Amino acid sequence: MNTSFLLFALLNPLFALLAAPLYMALIRKVKAYAQGRRGPSLFQVYYDLRKLLQKEAVYSPTSSWIMRFTPYLNLSTLLVCSLFVPLVFVPEPAGGIGNIIVFLYLLALERFFTALGGLDAGSAFGGMGSSRSMSLAAVIEPTMVVAFAALAFVLKSLNLHQMFALNAGTILPISPTLVLVSISLFIILIVETGRLPVDNPATHLELTMINEAMILEQTGTNLALLELAHALKQFLLMGILINTILPVGLSTEIDAGKIAVSAFLFLLKAGLLAIIIGLFESALAKMRLFRLPAFYVMAFFFSALTILIEVFA
Amino acid sequence: MIDPLFLEGIIKVLFVFVLISAGLIISTRNLSSALTTYTIQSFLLAAVSFLLYLIDGKGQLLLLACLTLASKVILIPYFVSRIEEKIKIGRDLHFAYLEPTPSLLLSIGLILLSYTFLSRVFEGLPLSKLFFFGAVIGLSLTLMGMLVMFSRKKVVTKALGYLSMENGVLMFGLFVTELPFIIEVLIILDLIILVLLTTILAVGMDSSIEEYRQKFRELQIWTGVESR
Repeated sequence: MNTSFLLFALLNPLFALLAAPLYMALIRKVKAYAQGRRGPSLFQVYYDLRKLLQKEAVYSPTSSWIMRFTPYLNLSTLLVCSLFVPLVFVPEPAGGIGNIIVFLYLLALERFFTALGGLDAGSAFGGMGSSRSMSLAAVIEPTMVVAFAALAFVLKSLNLHQMFALNAGTILPISPTLVLVSISLFIILIVETGRLPVDNPATHLELTMINEAMILEQTGTNLALLELAHALKQFLLMGILINTILPVGLSTEIDAGKIAVSAFLFLLKAGLLAIIIGLFESALAKMRLFRLPAFYVMAFFFSALTILIEVFA
Repeated sequence: MIDPLFLEGIIKVLFVFVLISAGLIISTRNLSSALTTYTIQSFLLAAVSFLLYLIDGKGQLLLLACLTLASKVILIPYFVSRIEEKIKIGRDLHFAYLEPTPSLLLSIGLILLSYTFLSRVFEGLPLSKLFFFGAVIGLSLTLMGMLVMFSRKKVVTKALGYLSMENGVLMFGLFVTELPFIIEVLIILDLIILVLLTTILAVGMDSSIEEYRQKFRELQIWTGVESR
């Protein structure tokens, strides 16, 4: 444990926690503009979170400790995850932090407990959402593993910190195949955060819900924590994508000025990505549930292609 | 003079985009987006050919780039878009043997196959890595075009599959065999004729029987045959 890492462990999660909800709001705003509305203010998410945090949680009589435990577990899992994705600067490696396999398992843990929490309340909606989420997870997880394997193969490390340290400071990505991995990562980002065409985050209709259905029974503080965790997950996946395709400005040394520049640039790049996601969502209709594997196979195709090309060329 | 290594880097990026476009043609269900993808793919090939000209300085490559630009980026897509307007079919939802998802998985296999095949063929030949890679992509593009041709049922998509197959041949020719220029010109002429024929067939077949008869009357075929 060195000072560089300690500073990172303080700064990075704090930065992620503060900035993450903003991008949920930005995507919502872009979608509103695309539909010809003005949309809520960018800070509405923060007001909502504050409001929810002040409210008490209500539990269904059939629910057990899982429902009370899930929000805390999810948020803490994602806070740990935020140590894995360097957003403001890349620290010197410490321990097993940054290992991509641990990262994937942490995401799986979060997904598993969200599904359990959906089942726990005993409502029909929650069970349906959990069932759908788990069946989709069974298809997307192999794809995720292949995509991250491709990333690891191109950047020659299993550690996210080392990968991005290698990539940092270049204007263009170091290998053309990173473009391919980025497409896969974008699809994974869309799937993991439950956005169109996989899931519609803006609706509470029975037919279309996946992610929303699982947290439908959560209230008050717990709901706030879950939404924060969701925003954080989106922000971290966005971070991985940005550090892969557009690493320019990511600092590798501890210097107040450089860290500030890198954080500022990251906010800008994430803003750009959020606008792209918003437009992407506005342009697409929801896919039929059974056609979704075709969407995942695109991600799989591009990741497998990356590995093939890296081996050939 | 631009640094050849930098140019080679750009060519590699273009290769990646060519493969992406091939994957998109296989998986799309929308005719107009398939056409746009084909146009972009042809444009990428023209760009690759131009960059190779910058590295090699052979005038033939420049001519090839111009020819590809004129025929495959402008002329052929124009004709095909005319077909798409006439037949009023926006989407191709019928597949024979293979749906897009398994086709995509299969095409990974095809790329692997062309790699193993070509690595045996070129064993011991002094071929640079870039050129070998180009050959692999050319061959797999050809095979993927073939996959499109046999897995689709609509004539227009089949024609697009054939066209992207020819793109693969062009790519292969660019990087390995140094196809004589005259043959490339002939192939492109053939392609234009093919697309014209498809236009005529598609427009004819899509109109109703009455219209067909009307057209035959106008052209004075079968005039005396009708008994009334």
